[in-house]
Amino acid sequence: ALYNFKKIMVVPTAKDFIDLTLSKTQRKTPTVVHKHYQIHRIRHFYMRKVKFTQQNYHDRLSQILTDFPKLDDIHPFYADLMNVLYDKDHYKLALGQINIAKNLIDNVAKDYVRLMKYGDSLYRCKQLKRAALGRMCTILKRQKQSLEYLEQVRQHLSRLPTIDPNTRTLLLCGYPNVGKSSFINKVTRADVEVQPYAFTTKSLFVGHMDYKYLRWQVVDTPGILDHPLEERNTIEMQAITALAHLRAAVLYVMDLSEQCGHTLSQQLELFNSIRPLFANKPLIVMANKCDVRKISELSEENQKIIADLIAEGITVIETSSLTEEGVMQVKTEACDHLLAHRVNTKMKGKKVHDVLNRLHLAIPAKRDQKERPPFIPDGAMVRRKAMETDAPKRKLERDLEIELGDDYMLDLQKYWDLMNPDEKQDRIPEIWEGHNIADYIDPEIMKRLEDLEREEELREKAGEYDSEEESEDEEMQEIRQLASQIREKRKLKILESREKNTKGPRLPRTAKKVERGTLEKDMSDLGLDMTDKDDSHYAQRSRSLVRKRKREVSAPPTSRTRSQSASRPPRDQSGVRDAKMLKKVKVLMKGSQKEMNRQGKKGESDRHVFDLKPKHLFAGKRKSGSTSRR
Amino acid sequence: MRIEKCYFCSAPVYPGHGMAFVRNDCKVFQFCRSKCHKNFKKKRNPRKTRWTKAFRKASGKELTVDNSLEFEKRRNIPLKYNRELWSKTVEAMKKVEAIKQKRQSRFIVNRLKKGKELEKAADISEIKKNIHLIKAPHAGQAKQLEDKMVQKLAEDVEMDE
Repeated sequence: ALYNFKKIMVVPTAKDFIDLTLSKTQRKTPTVVHKHYQIHRIRHFYMRKVKFTQQNYHDRLSQILTDFPKLDDIHPFYADLMNVLYDKDHYKLALGQINIAKNLIDNVAKDYVRLMKYGDSLYRCKQLKRAALGRMCTILKRQKQSLEYLEQVRQHLSRLPTIDPNTRTLLLCGYPNVGKSSFINKVTRADVEVQPYAFTTKSLFVGHMDYKYLRWQVVDTPGILDHPLEERNTIEMQAITALAHLRAAVLYVMDLSEQCGHTLSQQLELFNSIRPLFANKPLIVMANKCDVRKISELSEENQKIIADLIAEGITVIETSSLTEEGVMQVKTEACDHLLAHRVNTKMKGKKVHDVLNRLHLAIPAKRDQKERPPFIPDGAMVRRKAMETDAPKRKLERDLEIELGDDYMLDLQKYWDLMNPDEKQDRIPEIWEGHNIADYIDPEIMKRLEDLEREEELREKAGEYDSEEESEDEEMQEIRQLASQIREKRKLKILESREKNTKGPRLPRTAKKVERGTLEKDMSDLGLDMTDKDDSHYAQRSRSLVRKRKREVSAPPTSRTRSQSASRPPRDQSGVRDAKMLKKVKVLMKGSQKEMNRQGKKGESDRHVFDLKPKHLFAGKRKSGSTSRR
Repeated sequence: MRIEKCYFCSAPVYPGHGMAFVRNDCKVFQFCRSKCHKNFKKKRNPRKTRWTKAFRKASGKELTVDNSLEFEKRRNIPLKYNRELWSKTVEAMKKVEAIKQKRQSRFIVNRLKKGKELEKAADISEIKKNIHLIKAPHAGQAKQLEDKMVQKLAEDVEMDE
């Protein structure tokens, strides 16, 4: 199974666990039950609660058991590391206890469910349920210690550095304070704490670096002291585990200046005691802190120690994490060694042949003896030469910009390739009066323009552009005037006729008295001569047209005739005594008519209100103005 | 910088004005104002919308084929700048513009000439039909008769003498 140490479920404390499950039971199962329900319903209700609780406990505990890694299933490096950190026995015990608890809970539930079948009242069933839940919770309360321990393990486990045991790794080891963490800080992006006291690094740290397009792990270990295996503490054991299980290149770091507090001979002792762990691993000894003391500055015996090491065939490189002297060299050497080692191991294995059988490097055979060297164009050779010598390069825009500072203006027009180079700074016109000049550009434009102008001349000569005489003689003008008069008259007549009310009551034409003045005026407008028409028929005072039939004298007089109507005084003169009164009367009349006229009414009977609620008086905010005009 | 032509009404679209619409088939439509844009969105045909230049040209109300119109053409191959060519072009443009205006106005005037004839005919027919509205048919007749009578009398008198 693939274990992900970061995805282990949180292990709750016993108290929390119990609370969680019980409250869940209360929320997720039905809560209402009454005495008078049918017994099977009551039983079912309580059985459900018991089973629900059991199910929850079971699920959660199984989850814990599956999440935590089985020490037999994971990589031995991690198994050993966990043993070192958490004690294998304790771990296994804790998980075993959890398993037992789970089984016990299952049994309890089974028993009580069986008993519930014989419960005959609500009270009995309820008590059974209470007992069942109580027992389950007690079982769990007893697991308090295991659960606490497992929670701590889980937290620590999720914080372990992700070391891939199978990839390329460099392992740093040595006494405390020799400079392992400084080295890893220099080589990778890791930021391990570096302090002057021993055991600053208390656990394994991983850093990553790139070399030859491959990813490399660099593992920093806590320092190891020189005593036998049994006496080692947890911190040192982590380092030993790493050394034992990771197939890595080992970098044994020695402190030449003995600032770590241990002499070179002591360091050599340690080296020899760990030697068995370095079997089958490429080894490099780093003589660190060489900025303080070089190998050449060492005492005789120490130099002999170093010489012995070299004589045995181990690479010794002088390094200084401070001045970065030799760091790169160590890195490359270690990586190369490890790569070679890994390749060798793979070659010795069986899987290689499968791949090798499929690989084939095809080399084309020569077809003749002709020499075909690679072709390098001259320009490239010149460029390469220019790159090598520090000849002054051509002036770049950037240089110009820096020179001129604030005055610098980007002028791309100076790079243009025109026919006349002195035109480069011209401001090119683009638009004229709504036309694009670019649409007219044509090398032959002058020729075409000439043709056009010639054509135009011809046209002018042919008289196309002569404005025609307004060959409007007097006659036409008269005709036009008359026609416009006629049209006007017609329009007026039409408007007049529109004003008539054709749908209302109609008097016959003869009922209206035709005024002599209007008649004469209209006729004279039409061109007829209406002077001295005093003895025309219409100018006589009208006689009564109705000839009375011969009646008896005693017959009473019938309705008044027109002749009488003619003799009656007109309304605006009846009752008026003299001119002074007439004036006054006229003024009064006009005064009473003023308002009506202003509103455009026909008379006092025209009372129709066209717009009872005009919008402008009823809408909008009252800003300034009264309601009569807003 | 270019002055484009409005797709709908063919008015010049100056930079900073109007809108451009790019269709999925990569055809670009420029509009001079939202009026044209909205009409376009309503799928109206500019050749049938009376106020556009497209309609006017399609229905023969404006000059369409003419040499002076051939000068302004969108060219796809740019030429390198050459001062004298550019200055000559600007001068030529002015002259061509003048000629073009003359010809366009002449075209329209010719088109409208027919209308004047029709107007005259309408006036004459109007008079013939409705002269009675402003002049009574027998308007000067009385006077004429009188004059005739007077003339006749005078003649008679002369004859007698």
